[in-house]
Amino acid sequence: MMAQFISKKDLLAWLEKLIQERTLIAPARTNDLLLFQLISRVDDIVLNSNTELSPKECFFPATETLFTVRTNEGHTELVAETVDRETVIFGLRPCDAMGIALIDRPFLAEPADTLYGQHRARTILVGLACSQPKGECFCTSLGGGPDDATHLDILLTEVEDGYIVQAVTERGKEILPPVAERELPLPPTPSLEAIPTEGLPEVMKRFFEAPYWSRLADRCLHCNICAYVCPTCYCFDVRDYSTKGTVERVRSWESCQSPGFTRIAGGYDPRPTKGARLRQRFYHKFLYFPEQFGALGCVGCGRCIRACPVNIDIREIISDIQRMGAKGGA
Amino acid sequence: MAIDYQPRIVGFLCNWCSYAGADMAGTSRMTYPSNILIIRVPCSGRVDPLLVVKCFEQGADGVLVSGCHPGDCHYAEGNYHARRRFALLRSLLDFLGIEKERLRVEWVSASEGGRFRELVSSFTEEVIRLGPRGEVTVGPQSADP
Amino acid sequence: MDPSQQIREKAKELLTSGAVQCVIGYERATDGVTARPLFAYEVEDVDRFIFDQTCSHNLTRYLLDKRDKDTAVVAKPCDSRAINLLLNEKQIQRERVFVIGVACQGVVETEWNHVTERLQTRCELCRQHTPVIYDFLVGEAPEEEPPSQAYPDVSQIEARPIAERRSLWEGHFSRCIRCYACRQVCPGCYCTECFVEQLDPLWAGIRIAPPENEIWHTIRAFHLAGRCIGCNECERVCPVNIPLSLLNRKLEKEVDQLFGFQAGLSAEALPPFATFEKEEILE
Repeated sequence: MMAQFISKKDLLAWLEKLIQERTLIAPARTNDLLLFQLISRVDDIVLNSNTELSPKECFFPATETLFTVRTNEGHTELVAETVDRETVIFGLRPCDAMGIALIDRPFLAEPADTLYGQHRARTILVGLACSQPKGECFCTSLGGGPDDATHLDILLTEVEDGYIVQAVTERGKEILPPVAERELPLPPTPSLEAIPTEGLPEVMKRFFEAPYWSRLADRCLHCNICAYVCPTCYCFDVRDYSTKGTVERVRSWESCQSPGFTRIAGGYDPRPTKGARLRQRFYHKFLYFPEQFGALGCVGCGRCIRACPVNIDIREIISDIQRMGAKGGA
Repeated sequence: MAIDYQPRIVGFLCNWCSYAGADMAGTSRMTYPSNILIIRVPCSGRVDPLLVVKCFEQGADGVLVSGCHPGDCHYAEGNYHARRRFALLRSLLDFLGIEKERLRVEWVSASEGGRFRELVSSFTEEVIRLGPRGEVTVGPQSADP
Repeated sequence: MDPSQQIREKAKELLTSGAVQCVIGYERATDGVTARPLFAYEVEDVDRFIFDQTCSHNLTRYLLDKRDKDTAVVAKPCDSRAINLLLNEKQIQRERVFVIGVACQGVVETEWNHVTERLQTRCELCRQHTPVIYDFLVGEAPEEEPPSQAYPDVSQIEARPIAERRSLWEGHFSRCIRCYACRQVCPGCYCTECFVEQLDPLWAGIRIAPPENEIWHTIRAFHLAGRCIGCNECERVCPVNIPLSLLNRKLEKEVDQLFGFQAGLSAEALPPFATFEKEEILE
C-alpha cells in the first residue's frame, strides 16, 4: 500500500525543530526508570519500551496549584493558574492515548476542569505503535490495539529504516514533518493474550459481597502504586495552604487504596477494611466507570501488574471474577 | 555567596534554663546578632526533630537547640533524650548534604547570659560562613483549620 | 527435605490441628518466576507454598493485620527481627504468633518477570543465617559468623563531598511520588495516624514536591532509627528507585556506634531512645 514514510534522520531533525518551537515531552531514562520527561536533547529519547508512569501527568500533574489568592492592604486578588506552553508528547503508545481519552470523560464533562482542559488543548499527541508488546499487555481485550491510531493526532509505525506516518487529526496534519510516499506494507499487528473482559460489568454486579475481595486484600499493602502508575486512575485531594495573606489551592494525586481515603468528619469511614478499599478500585474500573462513561476504566497497559510489589494482577482478578460468574451463584 | 546574605536562624530555648539565660543577656544589655528567632519550649526534650527539619525546609539557614545542662534538667531527663536525638539528627542531616554545623546543640543555664551571647554570636558567624542553606522552593505551608 | 516441602507439612499440621487460623508464606507469582505472599486458611491451599531465593518479601508486617487471629508466619532471619521489634513494642502477642523460621542463604535481586542470580546487597552484607526467634526451624542452621560491622554502602556516600551528597539526595527525593509503599510495607510503620497525614500540626501536606518529599523521607528514617531491622523492603517496593536502604543503614550504623544497639535481636531490650546514659559523650 502507499504509505507516508519518514527516515530516522528526518524524524530526528523534526524532533529538533519541535524542541526549538514548542515543549517536547518524550520517554527518557533517569535512574534506571523510563519516564515521560521534558526533552532538551533528542539523544535522550528512549523508545524501546513503555514508561513506568503514564503520561496522564502531562494533563493531570501529581501536584498542581489551581489558583492563588493574595491579600495586600485590604485589596484581594485571585490569580488563576493558566497553561501557556504548546506541547508535543512524542512516543506515546496507543494504550496511553486511549487512557487520556478515557480520563477526558470525567475531566472535561461539564463543568470542565479548566487546567486539564488547557493542558489538553495545548498538547499534540504523536504516538508510536508497539512492535514488541510486553507479556503483560492486554490492550486488545479492552477495545484497543498495539497499532491503534484512534486517540492520537499522529501515529508512527517503525519499519526498516524509518517510520510510516499516519496523520489522524487536523492538528496532526498541521505539524506533520515532510514525508515521502512509498510503497510499504504495514507491519503485522502483534498478537496479545486475550483476557476475558466480555460482559464484565454485569458479572461484577453479582459479587460485591463476595469474600473474594477481603482474601485478595490480605496481601495488598494499600500503598498508591497501582493508582499512580495507571493511565486511567484520577482520584485527587485538594487543600488550601495559607501563610500571611496568601492562600494557595493545591491539588495532588490520591488513591482510593490509601487507608483513610474515605474517612469523613466525625471519623466515620465507609471503607474501613482492606477488602472494601481493594474492591473499590476494581468496581470503579469495571462497573462504575462503565456505567457513568460508557467504557471499561482500563487500557491493558500492564503497568500495575509490573509495579505491584505483591502481585495483585488485574488479569488474574478479571479471570477469577468471570470464572465465579460462570459457576453461577451470588 | 550573596554580599548581603543575612542568615535566618531559629532557636529553640527551654523555658527554665536557656530562655532565662537569653533573657539575662537581654536585661544585661549584652548585644548579639538579631538573626535568631527564638521559640520558647518547656524543655529541650520537647523539641521534635520534625520541627528542626521543617525549619530547614522552610528557609532556615541554621537551627539552635538549647536547654539545661545535662543533670540539671527541670524535668529531670528531658535533655538526656534531646542529646541522643540530636546527635543522631545531626549525622543524618550531614549525610543528606546539610552541614551538621547548621544544627547546634548547646546547654546554657539561666545564669549564663554571657555564654548565650557568645553562643549566638559564634553560631551566627558560622552560619554566615556556611552560606545560605539552599534555594527555598517550598510555597505557603500552614493550612487554615 | 526441601524447605518448600517442610513448610507445606508444617502449615498442614498447624491448620488441621486448629493451632492457627492462617498461615502466611510465599507462593509463585503470576509471572511464573518471582514470589508473592500467600495466606492459607484451608488445608487445600498449603501445596501452593514455596520457599526459595526469590522469597524477598518481609511477611511479618501482615501480623499487624491479623492481631485478632492465631497466625503462623514464614520468617527469614531479617524478618524474624521484625517480630522481636513488634513484640518489644507490644504490637503483637507472642501467644498468637507461630514463627516458621527459615535458615537463609540470602535472596536474589528480582523484578517483574526477571530473576537474577545476584544476591541482594543487604544479603551480601548480612551475617545472620538463622532467625533470632522461631517456633519451628526450616532448613539447616549453618555456623554463625559474627555480625557484620561494615557499612561499605554508607561509607561510600559519607566519603563524598557534602555538595555532592546534597545534589544526590535532592535528585532522589525529586522523583518521589509519595505513594507511601515504603511506609505500607514496613513492619515498623504502624502508626494509626502517620505524621505525614497530620493536618494540625501540618508537617508536609499533600503537595508532592521536593521539599515535602525530603521532610517525608528524613523523618520516616528518623522514626525508624534504632528500630529498622534492615529487611530493605522499602527500597525493593519503591516504584522510582530511591535507595532508601542508605538512609536506614546510615542510622543503623550511627545507633550501633553511638549506643551499641542493634534492633530486633531481643524482644525485651530497652530501645535506645527510651533510655540514656547520664555521662555519655556522643559527639
